[in-house]
Amino acid sequence: MLDSLFSRMCLRNGRRTIITAATKDVPDTSIPWFRISESNPAEHDESCLSRIYTIPSDITASLMSNMTLELRKQTEIFRELVNFNYKKIYDLTSCDNGIQGVGKTTSLLHLIHYGLVKRYFVLHLPWVQTWFRYPRDAVASPLEPDKIDLPESATKWLKYIKEINKVALSQLDLKTTKEYTWSQREITKSGESLSNLIEFGIQRNKFACGVINAVVDELKMASTAGKCRTLVIIDGFNAFTSSITHVKDENHTYVPPERISITSTFLSSVDYNWCNGAAILTVDKRANKDRKDSDYPTYLLGKKGFELLDPFLPICVENYSLDEFKTILEYYKDRKWIKNISDKGQRELELLSNKNPYQLWALCKPLY
Amino acid sequence: MFVGRKFNSLILSNLRCNLENSFQFYSVFPPNYIKPIYKKGEQEALYQEETALKQFSHLPVKPAKTNNTCSEFHDELIRKFTNYIMRKGNKKMARKILDETFENIKIKKLNEYYNTSPEYRENIILDPKVIFYQAVENCTPVLELQKISRGGIAYQVPIPMNENRAQFLSMNWIISTAQNKGNAEKLSDVLAKDIIDAANNQGRVIKKKYDMHKQCEANRAYAHYRWL
Repeated sequence: MLDSLFSRMCLRNGRRTIITAATKDVPDTSIPWFRISESNPAEHDESCLSRIYTIPSDITASLMSNMTLELRKQTEIFRELVNFNYKKIYDLTSCDNGIQGVGKTTSLLHLIHYGLVKRYFVLHLPWVQTWFRYPRDAVASPLEPDKIDLPESATKWLKYIKEINKVALSQLDLKTTKEYTWSQREITKSGESLSNLIEFGIQRNKFACGVINAVVDELKMASTAGKCRTLVIIDGFNAFTSSITHVKDENHTYVPPERISITSTFLSSVDYNWCNGAAILTVDKRANKDRKDSDYPTYLLGKKGFELLDPFLPICVENYSLDEFKTILEYYKDRKWIKNISDKGQRELELLSNKNPYQLWALCKPLY
Repeated sequence: MFVGRKFNSLILSNLRCNLENSFQFYSVFPPNYIKPIYKKGEQEALYQEETALKQFSHLPVKPAKTNNTCSEFHDELIRKFTNYIMRKGNKKMARKILDETFENIKIKKLNEYYNTSPEYRENIILDPKVIFYQAVENCTPVLELQKISRGGIAYQVPIPMNENRAQFLSMNWIISTAQNKGNAEKLSDVLAKDIIDAANNQGRVIKKKYDMHKQCEANRAYAHYRWL
């Protein structure tokens, strides 16, 4: 089976198209050279590389609640969302790495768009560290002994999943395959629809983490059976494999991620016992507390995490190429963010930022 | 104490001008050293005129400071404003505040740009630097009050000031009024608001300037104490 998967995998490494989302103000009549009129990422080809395309506003609106602050700000400034993208989707586990501000999160956003257009069921975990770093309420799990639940974030995430997979949930008609007993009175029977299960998780805060576990299991089973295709997208995956989190247990000591109930759920979602789907993960220095020295996945994932994911496709997200750099500056000029920058100034920006997207954005902030 | 003051006023000033004495000056460079011209544009302009170049050809020049760059993003007035914002030598923080301020100005102006109808959009200035210059110019006072004692009574005498002092006051007022707002809002947000207001000739800083002018107008009767 692995061989067939490898043969199906199509990967163009490195280069991306620069995309933006949701424009109402942009006139459709004349399209500048750096834009693409086609907004469907499935139909992009070689000619679309290092050019900008727009995502329809409904997808942006659904993604909006879980984007980073900086991205939200950009969306407001440009009246659209700036984003980065890989050329093709991979039918395998893959793992992005790259230095800070290079566009890992934004390229994931584009993959989500691709998944939504292709009718994948998208399991997008925006930034794992937010669960572990700012735990609002950590309580003992009612289902699994000696584990800790994060019900508030879990409920929030379920709402988000329901929101982005609205179309998939209504069209795919997914059913539970076994009976889940939450408590003496509350039972989810087999054959109930998946959206009902998610709705139950949203309403019964206490069992939200259990519901996440059930949903992931059901999706794995459904996609193995060929009923749907699942796209697992996790940003900052190495938070799961680090040795410590900010969550405290009843003894007021910090617990490792293994003791939190959702960890095992998401680790199993990227496991190799299911097919007909894809998992795209990113690793980032900032996502964990203990490993901060290198950007490479071997180090960031640790031995255990690496063995769990192996074999995966490592993808290095790189800084802008010269073409992309010119395109993005042209785009900023088009959106009135910068204006009077001469060729010398552009060269200076290029050298100062090393064509790093985030640094370029930061440098362009006070300029005009 | 008295001796010290006399030394400062009479002897030290004499020494500083007198180059033959081997005394230590405040600056490493004697006063006949001229300031460096570090902007590329200015240098090229000098090369265009031969007479101007001849004037500088045999003069000793001070070395450029570390913050003097020929980058096109460098601006003298903005550099000065950064230094006025700076507290306890924390220039990194000052620069960050000013960068955020300019970003906020741009965001506010862009919002205004998109909210107006397309015919009037061209009139809106989006450049934060232009807005900043306009704000500083609008806040620049003409007169200030100075205490002068005549016959044992201290009078508040209106006095015109030089350009440098006026510019300093204008920029410092912008900063101090923003800081008066307290910690509830970020300094960069308040500064952005104040600068945009001042550029439109309204707001608290402009009011401060008018108040001062009004006081000078009221104390017009004492104006002759300046020279009498």
